[in-house]
Amino acid sequence: MWHQLSKASGLARTALVGLIGFLAFALVAANPANAEIKIGFQAPLTGFAATDGKSAKIAADMAIEEINAAGGEIGQKLQLIPYDDQAKSDQAIFTANKLIGEDGVKLVVNASYSASGRAAAPVFQKAGVVMISAYGVHPDITRAGDLMFRLVHLGPPQGRAAALFIGKDLKLKKTSTITMDNDYGQATMDGFLGAAPQYGIEVLNKYSYSLTDRQFGSIVASVKRDNPDGVYATGYFFTGGPLVAQLRGGGVTAPIIGSQAFDSQKFIDIAGPASEGTYIVDSFDRARNDTALQRFFAEFTKRAGYPPENVAAISYSAVMLMADAIKRAGSADPAKVRDALAATKNYQLLTGELIGFNKLHEVIQTISVNTIKDGKMKFFAKLGDLEAFAPPEK
Amino acid sequence: MYYIDLAVTGLSFGCMYAMMAVGLTLVYGLLRILHVAHAAVFALGAYLTVIVANATGSIGLGFLAAIAVTPLFGMAIYRLLYEPLLSYRPDVPMIASVGLLVLMQDAFRIAFGEQGVTFKNNIYAFRIYDIAGVRVNAVQVAIVVCAIAVFIGLHLFTTRTRIGIAWRATVSRPKIAASFGVDAIKVRYLNFAIGSALAALAGGLIGLLNNLVDPAIGYVVSYKALAIIVLGGLGSVRGTLIASVVLGMVEAYGTIFIGSWLNRDAIAFLALIALLMIRPQGFTGARAT
Amino acid sequence: MSAYEVSLLSVIGLNVILAVSLNMISGFCGQISLGHGAFYGAGAYAAALTMIATRNFSLSLVCATAVGALAGIVVGFASLRVRSDFLAVTTIGVNFLFTGFVRKQAWLGGEMGISGIPASGFGGNGNMFMILLFAGATIALSLYINWSWMGFAFRAVSEDEDAAATLGINAGAYKLAAFGIGTALAGLAGGLYAFFTQFITADTFDFIFSVLLMAMVVIGGIGSTFGVVVAAIALTLLPEAIRFVNDYRLLVFGGLLVLVIRLVPGGLAGLARRLTAPAAKP
Repeated sequence: MWHQLSKASGLARTALVGLIGFLAFALVAANPANAEIKIGFQAPLTGFAATDGKSAKIAADMAIEEINAAGGEIGQKLQLIPYDDQAKSDQAIFTANKLIGEDGVKLVVNASYSASGRAAAPVFQKAGVVMISAYGVHPDITRAGDLMFRLVHLGPPQGRAAALFIGKDLKLKKTSTITMDNDYGQATMDGFLGAAPQYGIEVLNKYSYSLTDRQFGSIVASVKRDNPDGVYATGYFFTGGPLVAQLRGGGVTAPIIGSQAFDSQKFIDIAGPASEGTYIVDSFDRARNDTALQRFFAEFTKRAGYPPENVAAISYSAVMLMADAIKRAGSADPAKVRDALAATKNYQLLTGELIGFNKLHEVIQTISVNTIKDGKMKFFAKLGDLEAFAPPEK
Repeated sequence: MYYIDLAVTGLSFGCMYAMMAVGLTLVYGLLRILHVAHAAVFALGAYLTVIVANATGSIGLGFLAAIAVTPLFGMAIYRLLYEPLLSYRPDVPMIASVGLLVLMQDAFRIAFGEQGVTFKNNIYAFRIYDIAGVRVNAVQVAIVVCAIAVFIGLHLFTTRTRIGIAWRATVSRPKIAASFGVDAIKVRYLNFAIGSALAALAGGLIGLLNNLVDPAIGYVVSYKALAIIVLGGLGSVRGTLIASVVLGMVEAYGTIFIGSWLNRDAIAFLALIALLMIRPQGFTGARAT
Repeated sequence: MSAYEVSLLSVIGLNVILAVSLNMISGFCGQISLGHGAFYGAGAYAAALTMIATRNFSLSLVCATAVGALAGIVVGFASLRVRSDFLAVTTIGVNFLFTGFVRKQAWLGGEMGISGIPASGFGGNGNMFMILLFAGATIALSLYINWSWMGFAFRAVSEDEDAAATLGINAGAYKLAAFGIGTALAGLAGGLYAFFTQFITADTFDFIFSVLLMAMVVIGGIGSTFGVVVAAIALTLLPEAIRFVNDYRLLVFGGLLVLVIRLVPGGLAGLARRLTAPAAKP
């Protein structure tokens, strides 16, 4: 059956070529031109990161609707052009080329993981397109060029902030570290390990796990043996949740400090009573007395069915900031928008106040720490020592 | 103490894997098909457990629902996908099975959301027992107990009951069994039904243990279970149990030592490939060639 | 020609090379390989490292091809030991071992991957033409092999190894040849890919991608060069043309794979043959 000679007849082959032709035509049948300002949007709508992609998309849609309801910017409405990059670098490049070539987009918000941002950044830079990375943390993203901006703290500064918090605020000396093996987890942990000695923190042992792990028995047993004063772990809510539950279940009573991506209601759902008392560094202060934030919170929860976390908030803010820059620049021209963005001062993001961007277009912003109390996310502390976790200048 | 903790971890991994893999080895033993889509059956079981448990407030009902429904799914896979393909070379149904698994995992994501579903009231995962300094939670205990019960139950079933004996006969000597009047088709359906029910049980337990059922839950099963049934000797239930526990132990101790240069999932595959090359018959001798 | 069209054609070209080369291994010679992505990846990493070290484009491509071939021959030895579905399992294992290993090695970029791969010097358009040229060459090679004695030997080994032996065909040698040639081409595609994106990470070359490649081969008609080419092009364009397919990619491809095997095991080529049955030559 498999091995008959494959000489498809001429008629069939013509039909098949016709099929390809049709497909090619269908996709080249271009979008009609319109007078709206197009904002490109890349997010992992499918694949392992689809959770965050979905949040980002809902938030971005909300932002666009709000802006347009208020009349748009510089007299034009905004249109979101979303693409699914599956959080993969090859898809990021592919969709970036689509945005540039097919859609003629000049301003993009990348609301995806670092692998995507890193791959897309050089492509956009070369094409003269401004890109705001909402929450991609790899250093290479902004290094791609002056049209790149990042709205979240880089991995290493987040890690340094964690060291500052653990050493100075919590005054813990001996820690065991648990790193998630991907660029986000490792970059953040590298920052922590680099800054730890400065705050008198002794790292007893380092452990790591992969994105798909949900069972951490070996790590738990090892941490128990280390008997540290505190545990610092990087990861996402779907790894951090089980990890914290198992650490507590295994008898580890030391304080656990998690990284930014733990910051989600789902983390509390999964870890249950074990989540109590966990600290999350560079988290999103949800209870801040800010009408815009509370309105966002309510509307997002209604649309998504779950409360917004950092990804949603920062994606919303990224779109809002882009619109604000268009307004200040008085134009949608990328060079002018870039200058307006670079000149941003004291802009209120949902995740806190953006004091400004540095030379590398990294954020200068304080870092909040949340803790979980009575099963709810509560603000715990604000780290204002900007010097300690200042992002790199180049 | 540390090494005991690791051993307990290894044992609970091992029992988890055993329950996941036994369905796979049952199918292989009978039909010589690598039922990769078994992981989808497992995931379905997990989803049914959590959704019914959340809807009715009873975790027990969740398990019952899963165990009742997944055999139908498993049998449907046999009837619709494998039965028509039995006359082809063995890789044909296997590729179909892989396609089904990929499809189902995406279907779960679309149907139940990317974030996954958590149990609303998971008392068991947080109930901790302290046994001579070793801490385990109720679900881990349940996993070990269930695994033991399952294997004893299977053993008794296949040696003491008529249906079980007929089943075992069909697996080892199909023609002779047929000449004794055993209906091979019924045996096949039974095979898939039991294997699927066990997978559902395993799925529900893992979901309970992690307090999270997400689309990736079948991921681990699909590949590791394959490795396990080969290592255990295809078609051998006892071999599967041994291989599962061995793999669990290797992972528990190994991740600490090998984890720095090889990803945990890859460890299982390394063992698998090494074994296939050295001894294609696996630990206990059934044939892979 | 827009940047998008250039990158689309480049991706199509790469997928054609990959699908046709997989067809040589699994279609012509009947050795099911569900780990083709690993050889693609091996080639990409080889090219990336060579380019960074030597800045020599041709050498990088040669290395990519060579690494692909070597890896393929090593894995090919497995096909001598175990039968078809276990070979498939072994190839799955190879894929996981590749990604699992690469992720942990700092010199291979680890989780961060290798970025900043120096450009080939031909520009985006130049790269695309090169990829399409190689794709054409791959198709020509595939057709040539199919019509040659080697193709006959492959088919014989695939259908009945013992009968093939009576014809003096050394099954083992031909299996290794099939693997070597197929994976060499995959490695070459990997090298071309490294220059196309200038940034590679391990997860591009994962098992799911290998399954998608196998889907292209099966849907095209396993064993048929033209069928596989059509399927590769169509399955690359489908997510672009139809939004639904893009969002539910795995659902659609998995579903197509199952449906094709179940209902039209001969794939598109088999369908074409059936539609024109009276006129087709046996």
